[in-house]
Amino acid sequence: MSAPKRGRALYERLDLETVLALLLAAAAVWSLPVLRGSGRDLDHWANLKRFLGRFLPPDLSVLPDVAAALGETFRIAVLATLFAVALSLPLALCAARTVSPRPLALLARLAMNMVRTLPSLVWALVAVAVVGANPLAGVVALTFYSVGYLGKFFADAFESVDLKVAAGLRALGAHPIQAFQYGLWPQARPLVWSQSLWMLEYNLRSAAIVGYVGAGGIGVQLHAYQEYYQWDRFATVLLCILALVIALDLVGERLRARLLRRTGSAETLAAD
Amino acid sequence: MAAITAPAPGAPHLSLRGLGLRRGERWLFRGLDLEVRRGEFLAVTGPSGAGKSSLVAALAGLLPASEGGLSWCDAAGAAQPPAALRGRLGLVFQDLRLVPTLPLLDNVCLARLGRHPWWRTLAGAPREGEARARALLGALGLAEVAERTAALCSGGEQQRAALARGLCLEPEAVLADEPVSALDPDGARRALGVLRDEARARGLTVVCVLHDRPHVEEFADRALVIDPALPAGFAL
Repeated sequence: MSAPKRGRALYERLDLETVLALLLAAAAVWSLPVLRGSGRDLDHWANLKRFLGRFLPPDLSVLPDVAAALGETFRIAVLATLFAVALSLPLALCAARTVSPRPLALLARLAMNMVRTLPSLVWALVAVAVVGANPLAGVVALTFYSVGYLGKFFADAFESVDLKVAAGLRALGAHPIQAFQYGLWPQARPLVWSQSLWMLEYNLRSAAIVGYVGAGGIGVQLHAYQEYYQWDRFATVLLCILALVIALDLVGERLRARLLRRTGSAETLAAD
Repeated sequence: MAAITAPAPGAPHLSLRGLGLRRGERWLFRGLDLEVRRGEFLAVTGPSGAGKSSLVAALAGLLPASEGGLSWCDAAGAAQPPAALRGRLGLVFQDLRLVPTLPLLDNVCLARLGRHPWWRTLAGAPREGEARARALLGALGLAEVAERTAALCSGGEQQRAALARGLCLEPEAVLADEPVSALDPDGARRALGVLRDEARARGLTVVCVLHDRPHVEEFADRALVIDPALPAGFAL
């Protein structure tokens, strides 16, 4: 009976991580042909240097135009995030398995998964086809795109809270709506705020991209400068986007940390 | 909310008739007959897992009796199921159940939510009980941390706030499940002193799960021991 024993030992060695590593290695080998490129003998390094050289120095004369377009991008992101939060909250309540009946939760999660399947650029193409090439298309596209993510995040937040708190308020005589408002919602609220801020940051980056297909904002300018090979101006836009994203990242990170501190996950032990 | 006329102290308030509670297939205890008088302080003691918390949950109407019955008496002496007293029982949960993201003061004030229709509390929690909440927190030594978020308070502070919440309701009876288990001896005596003083001043019936014999002897009028090692599973 030694052969079955050896087989079993091999099976035991094949844990999930080993299997994943083997599958990844096989996938990498299978993917190697894509590294061939066009097959022509190109001087890639010289190409890169020549291309990047056109970016420098950035043409700062377009700064006023870029600032105005960035403002529009910001507005698109703000409104899209706001609408997405408003749509996601009820959807997330339906999708939270601890709050809603199981069939409803499954249906809501399926709907959100479908929304998430489409990238923001595809949502933008659809929105431009429906409402035309304008900032409204950006708002519509990013709203739908964000609902897929925020709905899932909020549902997870509702599922992560301690339901006994709300049950305790019920036992003390509170109405179910009061138990939700004061027992469940305050626990989920910091997470909801934190995730909404993250979505706003994300939408700012996305709003720069959706403009490529005409959905307003800085992306429209980016596309125009690329079309006319004005790479020095293109570089100015990129630098402005970079500055905005870094600033938002810094502010957002601090705000999120402050919000999540209110849940007390890190401080509870320190207070003892 | 039902009007509470002044009930006679010493009149029956809680009546258990052949009460039995089961956890899964195992009986915790059976045939418990007990009458608790209005204003009485009943301590419930016994080893862990004996069924003390289950008894408190049953008295609060949160756990159905496996056999027998239990009822609360209203001012006129009529029997009422525990559900009828919802909003008039000051519950202190073993697992506290405070809202971690709200200050202790807000948590204590939330005890009185059920006194208001839900549409009146949509814009904000009622503050009419704030003076009493502050007084209770002060009596329990929490005046300085009243505005601190619950999650940032120590376990002992949270436990005292949970006791304050149970009392802030101005209930007919207090059901407290190990309300001082996280407190040091002096803190525990102080907290139980507040509970006893409130009970005496307002004629509250108290059913309180306690582990320390000195606490039982100092604060309780009677003790119910629930212990599977006892022939009946309990003793008075």
